[in-house]
Amino acid sequence: MVELRAVRHRYEGRVVLDLERFTVTPGAAVAIVGPNGSGKSTLLRLLALLERPSEGDVLLDGRAAWSGRHRGRPALGLRRRVTLVEQRPILLRGTVRENLEYGLRLRGMRRPELDRTVEAVAERLGITPLVRRRRHELSDGEVQRVAVARALGLEPDLLLLDEPASSADRAAAQTLYRALEEERRRRPLAICLASHQLEDAYRWSDDVRALAEGRLSPVTPENLFRVELPLEGANGLKHVRVGTVLIATVTDRTGPAILAVPPTDIFVSREPLPSSARNVFTGRVTRLARPRPGAVHVTADVGVELVAAVTEEAARDLALAPGNPVAFAFKASAVRVF
Amino acid sequence: MDFLGEGFRRALSLLLSGDREVYGIALLTFKVAVVATGVACAAGIPTGFLLATRPFWGRRAALTVVNTALAFPTVVVGLLLYGLLSRRGPLGGLGWLYTWQAIVIGDVLLAFPIAAALSAAAVQGVDPRIRRTAETLGAGPWRAAWTVAREARFALAAVITAAFGQTVAEVGAAMIVGGNIRGATRTLTTAVALSTAQGDFGLALALGVVLLLLALLVNVALQVLQGRGGSRG
Repeated sequence: MVELRAVRHRYEGRVVLDLERFTVTPGAAVAIVGPNGSGKSTLLRLLALLERPSEGDVLLDGRAAWSGRHRGRPALGLRRRVTLVEQRPILLRGTVRENLEYGLRLRGMRRPELDRTVEAVAERLGITPLVRRRRHELSDGEVQRVAVARALGLEPDLLLLDEPASSADRAAAQTLYRALEEERRRRPLAICLASHQLEDAYRWSDDVRALAEGRLSPVTPENLFRVELPLEGANGLKHVRVGTVLIATVTDRTGPAILAVPPTDIFVSREPLPSSARNVFTGRVTRLARPRPGAVHVTADVGVELVAAVTEEAARDLALAPGNPVAFAFKASAVRVF
Repeated sequence: MDFLGEGFRRALSLLLSGDREVYGIALLTFKVAVVATGVACAAGIPTGFLLATRPFWGRRAALTVVNTALAFPTVVVGLLLYGLLSRRGPLGGLGWLYTWQAIVIGDVLLAFPIAAALSAAAVQGVDPRIRRTAETLGAGPWRAAWTVAREARFALAAVITAAFGQTVAEVGAAMIVGGNIRGATRTLTTAVALSTAQGDFGLALALGVVLLLLALLVNVALQVLQGRGGSRG
């Protein structure tokens, strides 16, 4: 539905986003993960057609909505199919109800349909008691929920959410995710959500894409490290400092790069075993997560925090639990550099 | 000090007796100020919006020009306008020299930079998320600008007040292009200058009081309008 093609976006001469291709298909649930400053918010603003890319095209249903080559803004009709909820959303002047009505009025909706729509969406997001309040009478978490309701009420084809649960407590975050899932069951809606928390992303979507330094990770959203690749290396093998450990990798690149260790390529054991793996680290398990039934993500502190993927059965056999000792091993050729 | 007290007494009696000349001058001043403020704000506020929100080549230079124009001496504006409107000037054919319209033009030239510069600052003071939010909720450029203006309403009301203050208190240009003609182009400020020069301190003071009342009236009116719009966020 929405596609970025050969997009390079700059702020004050610095490239903040560099994507060959990024697509969101109709009805998709996409999660974008990455640390602060990785370009998530910029990416969402481009998808929302709020900014023109410095280079490249933004396509909506295959047609160029916004192109780096041409001036002129995308047609209002196109822009109205996509709605963004910013990381720290702001309410417009007036009551919560007036905020919920704003976009609907722009689309020509009048009472009594307006009342029905506003009340229904307020109900779904659990903000009915707030509708008479003004922005200074709301907590950050409440503002965020109102902002999501304000966007959902417009029934966009694509909803973009920037860290939607960052100000919400656990219960509020669950209400939010439940409301989004219900909405997707009710009608075709694509959602693209940015988060810096991987577990959040996995809980919500199977299509998790990682962004680092404005580029998409080709392999995995986990275990991404910003590194400085040394010039020297024997037979292409280089040792790169990450945290307090040295990770061996095979690459002829030098200078700044992103290093990725796919969790499925990490061999997990109770203690180090003799093997051909050039990277063997020991430490303790810090966390266990279950992104899908039967799959376990083991996070361990081995001098740097690494995530390994194992099966439920393996986790049980190895008695993996927070605090227990663990050894992680992976081949130098498994480490991806981009 | 006695002449001060005498002056106040005369001012009071002129005002209370409904002196036709005093009220005639006040009415003309009000008319000139309202028309000039209206024109200056109608052109200046959208200009301020453009300067604040649209990235275009030379924007910074335009902002500098507008800010510099804030300090433009009023007599110089009067002089230039005199050159344009005088019989031999390029706009001499209009026959506007020594008319109230000429004073309006002078006032507009002086109040326009105020309206543009202050409204640019007012709009720049609005959180950028407001415009983005309006746009992502489906607002076109005009509606988005209106939404931003609503957020900056207090600052924009101050813009109108400042522009009105400039036009109602302006004396240099009004004197040169208006000519201070009794019953035709005599405004409160030019009349105050003349009466003081003629030694009629009471009249000058009475006119001064009217000038202050006029400014007060407009400020109160604007505040009432703002109050009706709702002062809360």
